Order: sequence, then structure tokens, then C-alpha cells
Amino acid sequence: MNSKKEYQYIGKSEYNVNATAKATGRAKYCSDMQLPGMLYAKVKRSPYPHARIVSIDISQAEQLPGVKAVIVGDENTCPARFGAGVADEYVLARNKVRYVGDAVAAVAAESEQIAQEAVDLIEVEYEELPAVFDGEEAFKRNPPAVLHEDLKRYQTLRSVPPQFDENRPNVFNYFRIRRNNAEDGFKAADFVFENRFETAMIHHVQMESHCGVAMVDDSGRLTVWGTSSKPYGMHRDISESRGLPSSAVRIIIPAHVGGGFGGREPKAEQIAASLALAQKGYPKRPVKMKFTREEHLSTTTTRAHYIVDIKTGVNKDGTIVANKMRLLLVGGAYAGTGYLTARNAAFGPAANYRIENFSLDAYGVYTNQRMAGAYRGFGNAESLWGMESQMDIIAETLNMDPLEFRLKNCIDEDDLNAFEEVMHSVGGKACLRAAAEAIEWGKKTEAAKPHLKRGKGIALGNKYSIAPTASAAIVKVHPDGLVELRTSTVDLGQGSSTIFCQMIAEEFKIPVSKVRVLNPDTDITPFDLGTASSRSTFNMGNAIRKACLDAKHQLFELAAKELEANKDDLETADSKVFVKGSPDRNLEIKDLFIPMVIGGYTLKEGAEIIGKATYYLPGVIPDPETGASEKPASFYMFVAQAAEVEVDTQTGKIRIVKIATANDCGKAINPMQVEGQQEGGVLSMGIGSTLMEEVITDNGVMLNPQLADYKIPTTLDCPDLANYKSAIIETAHRDGPWGAKGIGEGTMVCSAPAIANAIYDAIGIRFHDIPITPEKVLKALKEKNS
Amino acid sequence: METLGLTINGEAVEVLIDPATTLQQFLHDNLGMTGTKEGCGAGLCGCCTVMVDGMAVKSCLVLALQVRGKSVQTIEGLAPEEILDPVQQAFIENGAIQCGYCSAGMIMSSKAYLQENPHPSESQVRHALSGNLCRCTGYHKIVKAVLSAGEK
Repeated sequence: MNSKKEYQYIGKSEYNVNATAKATGRAKYCSDMQLPGMLYAKVKRSPYPHARIVSIDISQAEQLPGVKAVIVGDENTCPARFGAGVADEYVLARNKVRYVGDAVAAVAAESEQIAQEAVDLIEVEYEELPAVFDGEEAFKRNPPAVLHEDLKRYQTLRSVPPQFDENRPNVFNYFRIRRNNAEDGFKAADFVFENRFETAMIHHVQMESHCGVAMVDDSGRLTVWGTSSKPYGMHRDISESRGLPSSAVRIIIPAHVGGGFGGREPKAEQIAASLALAQKGYPKRPVKMKFTREEHLSTTTTRAHYIVDIKTGVNKDGTIVANKMRLLLVGGAYAGTGYLTARNAAFGPAANYRIENFSLDAYGVYTNQRMAGAYRGFGNAESLWGMESQMDIIAETLNMDPLEFRLKNCIDEDDLNAFEEVMHSVGGKACLRAAAEAIEWGKKTEAAKPHLKRGKGIALGNKYSIAPTASAAIVKVHPDGLVELRTSTVDLGQGSSTIFCQMIAEEFKIPVSKVRVLNPDTDITPFDLGTASSRSTFNMGNAIRKACLDAKHQLFELAAKELEANKDDLETADSKVFVKGSPDRNLEIKDLFIPMVIGGYTLKEGAEIIGKATYYLPGVIPDPETGASEKPASFYMFVAQAAEVEVDTQTGKIRIVKIATANDCGKAINPMQVEGQQEGGVLSMGIGSTLMEEVITDNGVMLNPQLADYKIPTTLDCPDLANYKSAIIETAHRDGPWGAKGIGEGTMVCSAPAIANAIYDAIGIRFHDIPITPEKVLKALKEKNS
Repeated sequence: METLGLTINGEAVEVLIDPATTLQQFLHDNLGMTGTKEGCGAGLCGCCTVMVDGMAVKSCLVLALQVRGKSVQTIEGLAPEEILDPVQQAFIENGAIQCGYCSAGMIMSSKAYLQENPHPSESQVRHALSGNLCRCTGYHKIVKAVLSAGEK
């Protein structure tokens, strides 16, 4: 694919197709839904981190006027467990609770107030059990608490199976890589470095909280609206956890969802669905479950506290010869997406550099906290936090420039990564150079006052995209020439609908305004793995291209008869079909349809012009012992970030003077939207996770479950317009649509080390854990000076 | 139930409401003006920002009865027909909208501030919007949009 070629719509900064609806307040989100007769739900949650449920008394709650349904975790409501890879969870806890906030009962009532009153009337008797919060304690062979005694008997996913650890009862996934021999590498190396790095538990803080609305229709069928990023994952969870056949459930995601970033497990939707089904008799009224901001911050998925141990061997000339890591995802009470995060955090370190000898052990471990799992970067911001801090420690010892050291080892086209996969479409070096240049790497700048210290730092990152994977698309050509896309990709704000419209516009040579995207609806829109792993542009993009070809093929077959031409000689543009080279021989798409008496249009055959296609990428599951795989991922996005910081040695406050990101996305289908992803990744989540954000808990209770205490960056925490720079690097991928890969998750996987390396350059203090708060800086300065 | 009379987007409204209803709930739930989003219900995110007598107000912190007799403008009132307000137009053209959940509040805060200070500096815009949270954009294109609207 030649990315230099000029396209009409690809590579253009078209305005977001949903922007007008959103700017005018007309856009409806799940949270805005109101249905006739709708009931409101509230959840009774566990106050204990680990306890046996002795009894639950719902009699008073049931008698409260206005209460329509009360449910608990029993055989009827929760017949089966569900989970992304390990089926370890019931919709409502059965037998025991495993974290503070675990749902034990739920109520549907005429109003939120009544539902809350009823929840308060539910009496639960618990018998407390020992709890474990510390990751290393939980990881032990004899941990102080075992969360799932029956783990080995739970159902697991066949396509990407988790591996348990025979000796460690709380480990829900154990993944390893063994390339050549790391120990031999260390023996031969001139220097060996060994360090531990950690990241705090943080939250996505999507602006729209989790919400679900569920309704049982007159045939007894269940429809659930929600805010999930994976309609088909939600479909599986909801049908399987109730033992319902899949055709008995319909999932609809509204066209607008208020942010995702990985944390959209359909918890609220599950509760709403259970309550819709549980009502006695008919009519069964629709039920809405919207989590309060506090519930959202304190009970939904987090990015895990991560412990990264890294040992690296290098030669004097700066060649990395061996690297060994242990990655510990300190998970929650249920594995959720964390089962895969625990494994896939390995991918970033495996593909950043050329390293002959590579050994890695990645674990996910249960603790008595809420679920920890997917978060923009899927474990790789955490593992690369360790690796990219380590690289600066090494460069300093070798007396090498951190940029030069990275350029020397950076993986390249045709190199083997730690899976022994041959790399393709690698923009790492170009990203490094662009990010360095953007902050005038190597040039010292002075702060205005002596107590302000300045420094610069750089880091390299990459983010794989998942395999095996599949996306399907349906494209319908309407009689008036409008082309409609049926896709289950969720537009959570990242702009997928806009780029899909551009892709179809390009294929049909029609303006973007003549394309529309239907919102995900499992009755209408076909399968997609989910809006995750920065996979939509690549996977759904490929499916859309193929579906367009199919639709055009049908269109040309119909038109060939009318135009008395060979279908292979036909082309389409501006809602017309014409003979290539003789544009005068043409017809309008609408002329293929016959207007009928009474109304409507028909084709003479074939019912409708509907193109459909699946893009299926099987990949190769890594060898369970060595991790070896020819194709463990769909593609890799590369990124480099560079920062200049100013540390106030009197207050400990860190100011970002300049920050730059360079991202290799293959091909920017819409450059303005790529920039938007870069800005959000670096300025909101990158800076936030590095300097500010932390879920603080005490005995499993979140102490900062409000936005006043869980701080995310505001306009004042981000650098001025002139001090933020971004570059788009286009290293085309041979399998990508128009050469495109993805962007979303690649944008914050190396923000933390870039900033921390700059802090080290400024004050000579190496921080091993994030966030790097003013308190930590002051404490470290005090220790250094004493 | 209490009687409440006020003006919403230029139209006189008189209703009976539960006195505990916040202005955000009144607009969003009772009147179906769903542009005024609930983000936190505690005045911390700014998603529900509306204008009361021209001033930006977080509508979740105000009881509906407190705006009796006042003039409330919501996002829906900014472009009653198809012609958009310059601030809305600037948000669209600058790519300042991603998930859009904060957008209405962000635009109302921007609009209120630009009425007060039509040609602000970047620093003034950042201060004016510091009470409105956005998780998608890092505010970069939002600040750009407000500055460009201010230039017009």
C-alpha cells in the first residue's frame, strides 16, 4: 500500500460526524434514557473486604411501597459465573464477598430514593474472613487468604487460555517468555542492573458513569442498553451468567458513550438485566441502573497496582544483551480483563528493543480489592515504566546519551522480538528522533530562580494490538445513494464513526455526509471483538473495505445489465455508476431501484444491495513454555515521548515545561483525530498517572471516591499550547487499511518514564514508583540533602 | 410540591416540582433537556454547567426553586435552530469534542466567560475553564477552540 498516494477522504481532517449533536446537547447517552414506566435500581454492597455471607434478609425491603423487585445472589438470579477469561464472578456475590463494594443485593423501585431506602433495609449477616491486599503476600505459596478456592475448576476461555500456577493459589494467569538464555547473557555482560518499579492503582474517570437500562419485551426477550465498549462481550456475559440462549438477549449501545479507556465492564448493565428479569408477573417494567460517581470511582475496574522487577545486562558499547523481568499485576477479587492484561503487559518490553536473551514471568494475582484490568495501554504503561526508567539508569552508568542508547538498541524492521516474531512496520527510531527534536534535546535551559531545577527526559514505547481477533461489517447502499454502515464498534469519543465514514466515502467516492453509521445493536450489527486494543481502525477498517468491495460488486452486477457493459469495467462516484473511461455511460444508483405502487422501492432481484465481510486474524497463540510465536499480535504502534520539567525544590511541585509525543500509527486516516488521541493520552492520562492520580485505600475501602479527592488534570495542570508538541509518524503496515494501524493506547505507554527521566535530570533523584507527588519529591529531596 | 416560574431559553415556564429537585434534575429529568448532563452531582466536574442570568452555574449545586424568576440558558438554547453559536462552531472545527459528555458544560462555561471577556488570553481561558473536567482531550483543542471563538 502506497501511503504517499493522494486520497479524497483518507488522510483528511474531516470534522467529527457526531460533533454537532454533541456541541448542541442533542446527543443522547445511555444515562439520558427514559422509558415509559421505568424503574430505578440501587445496589447493596459489602462493607467487608472478605467475608462469608451468613444470611440476607430482604423482607423489609420487599414490603416498602414502590419496590418492584429485590434480588440476591442465588440459583435463580445468578445461576452461572462469567468472566473475560476466567469465569470467576457472579452478578451478585454468592456465599462470600471478596471486596468492599462487592454487590450482594439489588433493588428496583419507582424512584432512586425508594430504591436506596430499600437497600438500606436489607440486612446482611457476614462472617469476616482474613483479607489480603498486598500483592506479594497474595502471590505467596501460602497466602494469608485464598480468594477462589475452586479456581482450578472454573471455566476458562479456550481461544486465549489463562495458565494457573500449581503452587500459588491466588494466581489467575501466569505467562512466560524464554528467549535463549538470560542467565548466560548476564554472565557475559559487562554490567548488570537490577531494579524494582511500581505503579499505583488508578481509575479511568470516564465522564459518563457506568449505566445500563434493561427491558423484557412481550415475548419474554431481554434487551439491554449500556455503556459497554464490547457489545458482544456484554452479550456473552449477560446470556451466559443467566444460562439464557444467546438469541434470547439483545444488546444495544447508544451512538454516544461518555469515554471508555478500557474500563467499561458492563456491571451496571448486569444489575439492570437481572432486575428486569426478576420482576414477578407482567408487565415487566424497564429498569435503569446508573452508578453514582462514588460507586463508579470505588467499585468499577481500575488500572492495577503493578510491581515490575527488571534485571538487564549490557555491554560497554551499549548493547543490551539480556533482560529478565517479573511483572506482577496486583489484581482484584475477580480477574475480569485483568486476566489478559497480566499476560499482555509482557508485549511492550518484548518488542521495544533487540535483545538476544530475554526471560519474563508475568502474573496476575487476586487480592481483596475491586477488579483491576484494562486501562489504556493494557499493562504496557506499567511494564514500560519499569523498562524505560531502567534504560536511563543504564545509559547514565555507561555515560551514554539516553537518546543515543535507545537508538542503538531500538528494534527495527525485520528484527526479531522476544517472541521471535519478525517485526514489521516499526517507527520507533523515527519517533525517538521526532520527540527529541520537539523539545530541543541536548539543549539546557535555565529556570528563572535558583530553587527551580530543570531537566529533560525521553522514553520509547510500543503497543501491540490483540490477536486472535475478528471484526465484521455490513454496508448497505440505499436507493437514494446513502451508504449505511452496520458495525459493533462503539464510538466512545475516539472518533471511530468519523473514520469509518471517511473509509466508505473513499470507497464509494461520495461525501462523508452521504455515509451514516448505525449504533451497535446485536440484532442488526454483526460481530466485533470489541472497541479495545486500538484495534478498530485496523480490523474494522479492513472489514469495511472488504464489505464495500462486496457491495460494489453487487451494485456493478445490477448496473452492468442496465448499462450493457461488463461489470468489471464499472466504477462508482457521486452516487452514480459509470463505465471506466466513458463517464457518459452512467446511471444513478437510484435508477437501479423501481419505485412501487403505494410506496417504496425494489430491486428486481437480490432484495437489497448489502455488502458484508469479516476480517479475521487468527494469530498464533504463544507457546505456553517459551512464549514463542510467529504472530502473537496484529501489529505494533510505536511511540516516543520527551519532556522538560521544572521541579520546585521548595514545594516539591513539578511543572511540565514542555512535552512532546511522536506516534507511529501507520497512516492517519484523520490527522485531527489522531492529534486528539495523542493530546488526551499525554496531557490528561499521561500527566495524571505520572504526577497526580492514585486510588488510596485503607483495609480495602477507597478513601478518595470523589473527584474532589481523586484528582485528574484540569486545564491548569496541562502545559500551554506552545509547550506541547505532537508528531504523526506514518510507517505503513502491509495489512492495514491504507497502511493504517491504530493510535489510542500508544499515546500514554511511555509518558511516565519520559517525565520521571526528566525529573532525574533536574534533581538527580530516581523515583521508582508513580505518581510522583510533591510530597514524595520533598521527602526525597530531604533524604538526598541529609 | 411547589410552584416554580422561570424563563428557560427565553421561554416562560411554570411547573409544580418537588422542592428537593436540583436544577440539573429539573432540566434533565423533568423537562427532558438532556444536554445538561449529570457528571458527579457534587459540583466537581462541570458537565451540568448552564447560565443563570448570564452567569455560568453548576446546575447540580442549585435547587430548581433557587432560580425562581430567573433566566436560565441551557446548551439547547444556544442554537435553537440550525445556526450554531460561534463557540459551538469553534469546538467542532477545532476537534475539541471527543466523547462529548463534558462538551455542553464546557461550551456553556466558555460562552459565559467570553461574554464577560470577549478576547481572552490563553491563561485567562485556562483559569475560566479550570472547573470543567474533560478526560478525553487534555483540553488542548478546547483551549484552542475558545481562543479562536474569542478572536471572532
